[in-house]
Amino acid sequence: MDFKLTDEQLKRRGEFFAVCKELERVKPPNWVGIEAMYRDDECWEFHRHCAREFGKRGWLALAWPAQYGGIGDMMDKVMFSEARGYHGIRGMDVFGVQMLAPTILHAGNEDIKRRFLPPIASAEVMWCELWSEPNAGSDLAALTTTAIKKGNEYIINGQKIWTTGAHRADWGFGVFKSDPEGKKHHNLSFLLMDMKTPGITVRPIPYMTGNPAYNEVFFDDVHVPAENTVGQENGGWAVVNILAGFERSGIDQVMSMVRGVEELVKFCNETKRGGQPLSRDPLIRNRLAQLAIEVEAARTLAYRIADLQNQGEMALMDASAGKVFFSETGERLAFFATDMLGPYGQIRHSKWAPLSGLWEDMYQECFVTTISMGTNEIQRNIIAWYGLGLPRMK
Amino acid sequence: MDLRFSEQQEILKKMARDFLTTECPKALVRELEKDEKGYSPALWKKMAELGWMGLVIPENYEGMGYGFRDLTVLVEEIGRNILPGPLLCTIISTFPILENGTDEQKKDFLPKIARGELILTPALLEAEGTLDASGIALKATAKGDDFVINGTKMFVEMAHVADYFVLAARTKTGTSEDGITLFLVDARSKGVTCEVIPTIAHDKLCEVKFKDVSVPRKNVLGQVDKGWPIIVKLIEKGAVIRCAESLGGIQTCVEMTVAYSKERVQYDRPIGAFQALQHIMADMWISMETCKYLIYEAAWMAAEGMPCSREVSMAKAYVNEAYKNVSKWAVRLHGGIGTSGEHDIPLYYRRAKAADIAYGGTDWHRELVAQKIGLK
Repeated sequence: MDFKLTDEQLKRRGEFFAVCKELERVKPPNWVGIEAMYRDDECWEFHRHCAREFGKRGWLALAWPAQYGGIGDMMDKVMFSEARGYHGIRGMDVFGVQMLAPTILHAGNEDIKRRFLPPIASAEVMWCELWSEPNAGSDLAALTTTAIKKGNEYIINGQKIWTTGAHRADWGFGVFKSDPEGKKHHNLSFLLMDMKTPGITVRPIPYMTGNPAYNEVFFDDVHVPAENTVGQENGGWAVVNILAGFERSGIDQVMSMVRGVEELVKFCNETKRGGQPLSRDPLIRNRLAQLAIEVEAARTLAYRIADLQNQGEMALMDASAGKVFFSETGERLAFFATDMLGPYGQIRHSKWAPLSGLWEDMYQECFVTTISMGTNEIQRNIIAWYGLGLPRMK
Repeated sequence: MDLRFSEQQEILKKMARDFLTTECPKALVRELEKDEKGYSPALWKKMAELGWMGLVIPENYEGMGYGFRDLTVLVEEIGRNILPGPLLCTIISTFPILENGTDEQKKDFLPKIARGELILTPALLEAEGTLDASGIALKATAKGDDFVINGTKMFVEMAHVADYFVLAARTKTGTSEDGITLFLVDARSKGVTCEVIPTIAHDKLCEVKFKDVSVPRKNVLGQVDKGWPIIVKLIEKGAVIRCAESLGGIQTCVEMTVAYSKERVQYDRPIGAFQALQHIMADMWISMETCKYLIYEAAWMAAEGMPCSREVSMAKAYVNEAYKNVSKWAVRLHGGIGTSGEHDIPLYYRRAKAADIAYGGTDWHRELVAQKIGLK
């Protein structure tokens, strides 16, 4: 039982941090928050630039098998995530690198691996996740967008929604109803498609901050080659479950909170109210200390998840616990910071906003982590049903 | 990084669990709450045979030579089962002797502790009930080869059966950290009187009065006037140990509650089928899991001798609240039966309050964390 990193690991961790620190130094002026890359063209270009820098170093293929260009192991991936989180450099296409690539490695055939892994590793192709529909959120398998096989193609009709980055992405992966007469969970297929395919219409939806982060995506007779299927025809649900296991690691989010606490401590030390620094206010000390404690609890739990995954386990319960705890710690942190800032807590990113307006933003963006990737309520169900063995809701 | 228990730790854990299940049933726990001594000398003897008092004492002093991290594995099992008595206060008192004792003190005390022949307990708190140095007013005045002690200690665990106190006293007037000295005081010295205070966990916290009590100079632990840093370390060790104990208690609360919710039928289904309860139990589990690795990190750092006051205070502040909350929900989900003096769950709920107070309450540790994260 130890939390120790080897000298070799510490050295690589240092490299990850050094590169991310350098990138942070040249971030564009509007680069704020979890969905920073969607704020404007400059932010998106910066995002791609960071991704290419990482790709060049092989860091988007960490823990992949060597035959597909992989280097390093799970711990490298964890340490790389730490560096990105701490320095606020998204710089990695989470959909392609974190979700699709491991899924393909698990469930894709050789042709799929050969065609799609290299452009993910090099950051040439950025992905989006065609997932939720207007009437299929947590109950994803209730989706109705159809992909009907005709010869060597699927013809897709219907609509997806809340598709983050669909307006920027080159390719999309998603799950579609390929057998409208089939039984629920046995009627879906997992498909990959070029987002420029005729018949796809993307309508950006502004997030509550105004940031155009997600979209509605409409499909009108969209032709997708059948060879772009991951897993079996009508076997998409199994692929969804594999992918869901890779969605939650969370250390990058935890490290962004570590940084957040550090910045808040500095701000409280430097900012006076009523003739004394905010750091002398016992209530602020107490609340901020408690948040630092929760962030540390989050960090150690993230290591636990990484350690389990490193041993080849899915870490289902811990991953769900982490998802809930990290995201709700994020909510508490945002609520505290915007309280502590007083009237300045409402100011948007501008010359008046303390700490770049990050916390006004996080007050709204905290839902990105509590709702997406399986709502926290669904995560609690997972813990209760699969972890604690409690009777499953019918 | 490898967060699994070692093979040796797994063996220790299993042995402790089996032993406590057989030797310390809840009927005994309840009996000891009413018992004047508050512990079972017969059980004490068996634990001594297993080497528990000497677990972290080096083999050349007749101990088992295990590490601090191993100790917390054992303590987790103690918390899981509940074990009343002076085991933990004795072990906690051993650390300042191990780390700061003279060769003579080590030779005098450690083998006897390892053999289960001595009960020790820290005597730190006084009337104000604070762990800060300012709370120490009890005086020790040099007189020839002795010190003469006058004053009153409060909340001294198991003092009524202790053989020695690890006692913090003022050897210089004032309220600062300088001028505090640590003594090993024979509990049977002339001028010592002791009364048991009734407490929520019936854990035999005592008021101990010292009237012109003579302590030989050779019983000074560490340097005269320079005892505070030793006390800080003692509090750190005590905090981690009590955290590990609480973690065990939390695990029992989660397990008992989940098991009960699968058995108890209302509205024609087990109450565990209701989502309102499932989510509470999921949160209890999350709470347990977050405590675990925060404690393991602090315990690992302490075991490695790394500076860990930040992590220890984080763990203690967090676990204090977690144990109270998880045990509270355990009572709530058990419903009426969970409030009964004859049920096991309230044993844990009451101990959660005692565990919270021991070695620093939540706000006390949060303030230490505030300092450690750099708030000026």
